[in-house]
Amino acid sequence: MTEGLDLLTENFRDFASGLWVTLRIVGVAFVVAMVVGTIVAAFRVAPSKALQRIGGIYVETFRNIPLLVLLLILFIGVRRAGLPISAWVAGPLGLGLYTAAYIAEALRSGVFAVGKGQIEAALSLGLTYPRTMRRIVIPQAFRTVIPVLGSLIIAMVKNSAIVGASLLALPDLLKQARVIQAETAQTEAFLWAAVGYLLITVTVTVAFRQLETRYAVRR
Amino acid sequence: MDYLFSYDNWEWLWTGNNFKFLLEGLAVNLQIALIAIVFSLIFGLMLALMRISNSRWASVPAGLWVDVWRNLPLIFIILYLALAVPGSWRDAYATAIPDWLPDALQDELVLGALLGLVLYNSAVLCEIMRSGIQSLDRGQREAAASLGLTYFQQMRFVVLPQGLRRMVPSTVSQLITLNKDTTLISIIAIQEVVGAGSTLASVNFGVEVRPAYLQVFIVIGLLFIAVNLSLSRLSRRLEIRERERTGTTVKPVEGLEDQVALQTDVLPPR
Repeated sequence: MTEGLDLLTENFRDFASGLWVTLRIVGVAFVVAMVVGTIVAAFRVAPSKALQRIGGIYVETFRNIPLLVLLLILFIGVRRAGLPISAWVAGPLGLGLYTAAYIAEALRSGVFAVGKGQIEAALSLGLTYPRTMRRIVIPQAFRTVIPVLGSLIIAMVKNSAIVGASLLALPDLLKQARVIQAETAQTEAFLWAAVGYLLITVTVTVAFRQLETRYAVRR
Repeated sequence: MDYLFSYDNWEWLWTGNNFKFLLEGLAVNLQIALIAIVFSLIFGLMLALMRISNSRWASVPAGLWVDVWRNLPLIFIILYLALAVPGSWRDAYATAIPDWLPDALQDELVLGALLGLVLYNSAVLCEIMRSGIQSLDRGQREAAASLGLTYFQQMRFVVLPQGLRRMVPSTVSQLITLNKDTTLISIIAIQEVVGAGSTLASVNFGVEVRPAYLQVFIVIGLLFIAVNLSLSRLSRRLEIRERERTGTTVKPVEGLEDQVALQTDVLPPR
């Protein structure tokens, strides 16, 4: 056991930098996912059939493709095509685009949960459609999907490990654990990485439980 | 764009055995997914029954176990098991696996991959099933108990059929995720579709038409989209038919805790 602790103290900087890289990947990917996800969700609930279809195709494509394959397309594929995309762009972008499909679905169901009556009421009061969306529907939709957003962030934390483990090889927590394991031949390196991942996921869970009790709409 | 659509970069697809090679790789993924699905459903149900059990000696350990495994990245678990599964287990697996099973499963590395997929997915499925069971009205169980059904009969005839049916959509979407996640085993050097694609694109077999990386991965992506879309369509159709047959309408699950477990399929689609 003390040997395991020594492993942590001796390599603490590497573990900490791995954790930081994981958090950065998730942070950037979250911004991408929220922006793209909101746009796709808006397409999905738009009054035009064509826009709905485009949103639908986006969701079905990105929900059904393996994240690893998506990352390989964005990184190896795009590089071979002549565009020197860096792993720091391709990784968070791929993770973000992938998660955006799930966020779009969550927001869409949140929008439908708001209820037709409210939208009709807002429209009949003379609000324009975009305005109804922005003032009436989206604030409520976001509140209903808070718990789902929490579980999607946790999923993103877990999926970020694919960015480090695949050919993109960003030095995230998992990658650092593998390097330390290879150098010291101690599998405890994985134990400490697991502690790191559980720390993040537990923090997110607790934080979102707080958000829920504050903002969520109970029905 | 020129690169993406140029004829030269797509010619590999209909040349020689390239496409067949990819499909054979995909078959490995699907077989591994199928086995992992069967075991994950069985263990997931067992864990869920333990978690809702009245005995603390069953529910607390099961809860801890599930919370640990479902909160770790799957690729982390797979890479760890690739190191941690003892050689003797792998040897035992290699001798125990019958010859008539497909070649894909004969590789001794597959043991770690399957273990990882089942550990992770049984934990996730456990939570889905548990929230389905617990979303059921208490009255159902109480009525069954007051009719004199034993605990086993209450579960078997009243609670599980209703609770699990509610969870079919989120279970199916988790199984589709499992199917996608089988590509991760390419990272521990099991030869499946991503590995096959990389081999195709990197090794020159002395054929003049060599596939381009971008196109190979796009084709693999399309294959997965086709398989997963047909799976989800099929399950939806079966679900509708089942609902018409039994004349039941599934009530949306309430409560935030359940919505989390259900993830995105939680709210009724309009």
